[in-house]
Amino acid sequence: MNFNILNVLTGIAVVVCLVGLVFRLSIWFTQGIRPASAPSLPTLSAGGRIVAALQGALQVLFSSRIVLFCKSVFVDLVFQKRIFDKSFLRWTAHSLIFFGFILLFFMHALDSLVSASLFSNYQPTLNPFLFLRNLFGVMVLVGVGLAVYRRLSMKAQRLKTYASDWTALFFVGVIIFSGMLLEGAKISSFTVYQNMVDEYASVDEEEAKALEAFWVEENGVVSPHAVQPFSAELIARGREINGDSCIECHASNRAAFASFTIAKISRPFSAMVGDAAAVTIFWYLHILASLSFLAWLPFSKMFHILAAPVSLIIKSVTGDEINEPANILNRQMIGLSACTHCGTCSIECSSSMFYETFKNDFILPSEKVQYLKRFAANKEHDPGIVKRMQQGLYVCTSCDRCTTVCPSGINLKELFVSARYSLLTAGTPETTMLSHFSFPLALAQNFVDDHLKALKKVTELFKKNFQHLSDLTSPITLGRPSPFGNNSYKGCFSCQRCTNICPVVRSYDNPVEALGLLPHQIMFSLGIGNVELAMGSQMIWSCSTCYLCQEHCPNQVELCDIFYNLKNSAINKIEAGASS
Amino acid sequence: MKYAFFQGCNIPIRIQQYATSTEAVLNKFGIELQVVPDFNCCGYPARNVDEKAYLLPSVRNMAIAEKMNLDILVICNCCFASLQKAKNALTKDSPLKDELNGYLAKEGLQYNGTAQIKHYLTVLYEEVGTENIKSQLVNQFNALNISVIHGCHILRPREITTFDDSFVPKITEELLQVTGVTSLDWRGKLECCGAALAGINPELSEKLLHEKITGAQTAGAEFITPICSYCHLQFDTAQKNMADVNPSAKLLPVLLYPQLLGLCLGIDEQKLGVRQNSTINAADIARIHSLLGPPVADKKKKKRKSAAAA
Repeated sequence: MNFNILNVLTGIAVVVCLVGLVFRLSIWFTQGIRPASAPSLPTLSAGGRIVAALQGALQVLFSSRIVLFCKSVFVDLVFQKRIFDKSFLRWTAHSLIFFGFILLFFMHALDSLVSASLFSNYQPTLNPFLFLRNLFGVMVLVGVGLAVYRRLSMKAQRLKTYASDWTALFFVGVIIFSGMLLEGAKISSFTVYQNMVDEYASVDEEEAKALEAFWVEENGVVSPHAVQPFSAELIARGREINGDSCIECHASNRAAFASFTIAKISRPFSAMVGDAAAVTIFWYLHILASLSFLAWLPFSKMFHILAAPVSLIIKSVTGDEINEPANILNRQMIGLSACTHCGTCSIECSSSMFYETFKNDFILPSEKVQYLKRFAANKEHDPGIVKRMQQGLYVCTSCDRCTTVCPSGINLKELFVSARYSLLTAGTPETTMLSHFSFPLALAQNFVDDHLKALKKVTELFKKNFQHLSDLTSPITLGRPSPFGNNSYKGCFSCQRCTNICPVVRSYDNPVEALGLLPHQIMFSLGIGNVELAMGSQMIWSCSTCYLCQEHCPNQVELCDIFYNLKNSAINKIEAGASS
Repeated sequence: MKYAFFQGCNIPIRIQQYATSTEAVLNKFGIELQVVPDFNCCGYPARNVDEKAYLLPSVRNMAIAEKMNLDILVICNCCFASLQKAKNALTKDSPLKDELNGYLAKEGLQYNGTAQIKHYLTVLYEEVGTENIKSQLVNQFNALNISVIHGCHILRPREITTFDDSFVPKITEELLQVTGVTSLDWRGKLECCGAALAGINPELSEKLLHEKITGAQTAGAEFITPICSYCHLQFDTAQKNMADVNPSAKLLPVLLYPQLLGLCLGIDEQKLGVRQNSTINAADIARIHSLLGPPVADKKKKKRKSAAAA
């Protein structure tokens, strides 16, 4: 084939790939996500971060943690236990693609470097190589098929698939399939057969006929003139000549079981364009697909081939306990680049139902990660996207399942915590902060000052947006009762049992000043139709939701439930104002 | 008997000992718990924000249990209340039921309301029964003062949780009696631990927690037994965080109910994860063991029996 073209194309692909790799690797040491205000973190140079990474790596190499490293290589990288633990289907698909592709890469694509130096008798046309090439190819194709099936069948479980995910599968599939088409076209090509005979066999005309009959019958060659059926003697004679002249370097084409079968399908195409042209066309298809894949690799999720092993080893040797600020950022960026958008985190996400009701893709961890890459590069400035990302980061139960299940070992929890406070300090007030999603955050005590500042921002927003009893100058008048979900407030006869039993009211020396309205006063404002006033009281946000008031009410007023309704309506109103 | 084990979000990552000790205790009585990886959050964290967002997750969880033909056993009070609330809301409001079922249909799930929601204490009290528990005791505590904090959302609102008398709860008290501990009468018993305000109103949250800690200590409690997982995190983690700021504060160590009962049933302390409670130290554990002795009730019975025989 045209080796000059091959060399030029390979050269271009390798250069693009290398440039891409340098670019992607440089991101590991230059980008990061952290709150701007975090004072404990100095500005870190790329050089400093590379040094920190190397130091960290050396510390592992020369300590007992080297054992963890070795274990991780076998358990996480070769066996891929993290995938195995979660989904046998996915593990099967990934292992088939992984082993099939890697083995083809070394045995076939790099055959002159690897196979030829390992096996003195290596010939691509000899077994076991001829057979193995097909076996590995079929493994990859089956793997790709399973992966496509998984992506289609898990759609209902909130597995999102982007064009880039399909592209990766398509690329891998095309490389293998075009290789099989190429081999199939060669198998049936009379030109290729004739060239081999001319080059390797010295036969007379009678022998040539017999050999041709044998190859047509047994090896799938399509002859333009030989007429079937052949006599048994002719084939037997051909087999004899084949044994003398060919078999030493060329096993039966039937060993290439996949290509041999595919050749039957591609035969009409070969007949149409000519057998030699078909070989050339498939050769270009196969070479271009393979080389484009190589060039595309660093710019796509296929970069995980490099990043995921690094991420998994870091997880294994550090147990996600990293204290060096530079390495925290390095770890973040290695993690982000290791994401394959496999969606395991989103399938297992405990907040998955919130994704359904909030209608915000960023609630799903896999979708957050895709966009956090843009945030880390400081490329995302669309206020709408920033706001939705902020909510997506906050509507999280901190169950850490995503981090536990991630097959690439990304420390998603740390990424999300840093990103959450990075956005909260810089961004708009986040109303979901006033929910119990804040509870685990308060326990963990990460970025405490940033949390308090962001909380202040959102409480001030509420103060600004609602009426307060202390602001009213004219006397309160009776209004038309506005439609309100829970009407039990109508039963209130102001006995004040609720206010007297409330542990929150009891906690303040001057409760009216601290809480705006007391529980019975909130019922009263609803009674006179002033929902605004009720929504604006600090009391509803200070309610400990202990339900003592509701339980003790002599007239079945559902105070605590009403407070929940008021909180929902207040957040709704603020959000509607923010988006209009 | 077998239940779908609903652990919620906090227990699997922050309070594994609550799950393992509960399972160890229930297994003793032939009750099997099946962990269901498909379960998601109960919805509780979103309650301040949106009612539907709060209800849907519980509806999905119940639909999953229905599909498995199992009832749900819950440890966390807030999860329990959320599941019960969703069940209640959908019984009253069938358009809402249809709407939420619309979300579930995408995954081939459907909520009909057949799965029952049970708190583990109810299962111990009603299904196992205190007599049955007593008959299997190997140990009992003697003169161990504990303060129990029931947690709000298991008791109230009573129409939703239907757990026990919300003013004079007896299930938890009787189950505590079985272990021989003295459950003190103290002011915070039925009140709020402050968890619902953590991260929203930190000062008030800490104040409510601090009030409970000193309240229990003043009443003479050596340990606190929180029923709810949120209460547990307040007493076990938030208390520790507070003590880091104020080291002179005396810690009130936490002991969970299944840990207390498990010790009395002769289950290994390691298995019950007593040391995983972060407020407990070696001296506390030594103290617990020193107070464990042969069951008293049985002796009395024997005495009575022998008296009757004589």
